[in-house]
Amino acid sequence: MITYLLRHRAIGLFLFIGLLTTVVSWINPAFLSAQNLRDIAVQAAPICIISCGVMLVLVAGEIDISVGSMMGVLAASMGIMVSASRAQLPPHVAIALTLLIGIGMGLFNGLLVAYAGVPSIIVTLGMLTALRGLTEIIMNGAWITDLPEEIRFLGTGTILSVPLSLWTTAGVLAMTIWLIHRTPIGRRIYATGSNPQAAQLAGLSIKSIKLFVFAWTGLLTAVATLVSVPQLSVVDSGIGVGTELLVVTCVVVGGTSVNGGVGTLSGVLCGVALMTMISTVLIFLKLGEHATYWSRAIQGLFILGAILADHWISNHKK
Amino acid sequence: MKAIFLRTLSLPETFLSCLIITLFALISQLDPSFLQWEVQRSLSSHIWELAIIAIPMTLIILTAGIDLSVGSIMSLSAITAGMLFQAGSSMPLACGAALLTGTLGGFLNGFFIARMRVHPLIITLATMATYRGIAEGISQAKPVSGFPAGFTRLGQDEWLNLPFAAWVFFIIFVSVFWVIHRRALGLHVYAIGNNDTASRFSGIHVDRILIGLYTFSGFASALAALLFVARRNTAKADVGMGIELGVITAVVIGGVSIFGGRGTLVGTCLGLLLIHETREFVSWHWNRDEFILIVLGLLLIVSVVFQKLLRHKQNSS
Repeated sequence: MITYLLRHRAIGLFLFIGLLTTVVSWINPAFLSAQNLRDIAVQAAPICIISCGVMLVLVAGEIDISVGSMMGVLAASMGIMVSASRAQLPPHVAIALTLLIGIGMGLFNGLLVAYAGVPSIIVTLGMLTALRGLTEIIMNGAWITDLPEEIRFLGTGTILSVPLSLWTTAGVLAMTIWLIHRTPIGRRIYATGSNPQAAQLAGLSIKSIKLFVFAWTGLLTAVATLVSVPQLSVVDSGIGVGTELLVVTCVVVGGTSVNGGVGTLSGVLCGVALMTMISTVLIFLKLGEHATYWSRAIQGLFILGAILADHWISNHKK
Repeated sequence: MKAIFLRTLSLPETFLSCLIITLFALISQLDPSFLQWEVQRSLSSHIWELAIIAIPMTLIILTAGIDLSVGSIMSLSAITAGMLFQAGSSMPLACGAALLTGTLGGFLNGFFIARMRVHPLIITLATMATYRGIAEGISQAKPVSGFPAGFTRLGQDEWLNLPFAAWVFFIIFVSVFWVIHRRALGLHVYAIGNNDTASRFSGIHVDRILIGLYTFSGFASALAALLFVARRNTAKADVGMGIELGVITAVVIGGVSIFGGRGTLVGTCLGLLLIHETREFVSWHWNRDEFILIVLGLLLIVSVVFQKLLRHKQNSS
């Protein structure tokens, strides 16, 4: 029974989240209020969008730890493009350019990994550092506070009283499901990650598949930036710091293997939900102010727990 | 003769030395005052902590592993020392406890990695969050300061014209260098990185060595944390934030392959020197700190691409 739940990571995590929610809402019924659930969802939305990309990178047997700095560059360039006191581009042009910049940065990562043969952890570590520097150069120490209404709407607007960022997340999830299950690309990504040699011999172009997953992650990072940054009243050069670690954590807790070939979207979704609700849960448990400082330790213990679960499964397989 | 010449030429150490010489030549043209001993010494005060951690990191990456948790172990050790001191314990006891905490943290990393055969990246990602989280929880993110003068002197005093931390680094470097190049353990480390399974079958105690290396990494991080706290006279949960990236960058620029089995301690030192001088010169001469990050990031990628090309050449010739 336990082994089954641990093996089907999504079901196990889902039950755990259910249990956690029950306990918290029993102590503090306000946890289940529509407003609070909406806040958690909005907070989780950008992480969820980027995780859809990073999960495929991990499934393809690579890793991307540059997304936090990519967000920084995208937020800065979007801010400069639309700001009333800077470039003043029309919003739709700025949105299109932001998406293109995202794809461009992803392609750059992908080209270095797939065609120059540099290990992905090195490429994306280098990009994590370099792009943060680029963000600081773009911002030049200033803040952008005058985002136009149309751009603000991307972050704060609602359609049918559901925030736009949640619609976007749903769209991204639907596209990722379609990509994985209904297109040859999805199958090829899994094939590449689980056995690169076999995939190569079967005639797949491993290089173009790797290029694709990095570009896809770049695109999704741009989408996440567009729906999350306009929620803030100030754009500065510190946007996205640490996002890469949170995203990798969510993806791994969701049962994706760093060795490639294994990973489900439902697991990742539960990983994102669990990781992003921890800090809110700690507040609603009414343990006092000092408890909130423990949220990082609890996140870490959840990752260790997920690793132990994997270990348990592999021992029971034998 | 020609073959030996070509081989020496294609070593990452040679490539790095050329880069460093070019950099120094460039600096002496642009701003010779930067090369004065006094300037160099005052700019080097913070590099020693990073350098101390880079030694075990080199060995770990040689075994095809990685340790992302070094910054968090620094944080946890610093907070251990700080909280114990605040609670009224004597400073030597607090330092001892901090070293023990760091060593234990490293041991746990090694234990999980060796016994569960989980990718070190994942284990240390988890402990990276856990250790810093515990430090934040215990300290409630508040700083501890006002350490006794006897302790802060460790971070500020100089001995034979070099900071105390530099001597700590030299002692560790020389002893590890001796072990790696003169003892069987050194060969074992390279063997594990080249082929883990073959090493196990040839009777190398892979698990024991891995646990030892990660424990050493924890100990070195705790030592670096104490030197940092002594230098700054403050212990806070954000000590060592992001230092893992700096250390790994230095090691990889130094020619150590991230897939293990290839690289040297000398390379790591050259990598450290290159990064340090580049970083300090950019901020000294242009006073633009934001360029440093771009330069370092690109340096990392470019040097790995170059080393790959050089190796390719060597293999085909």
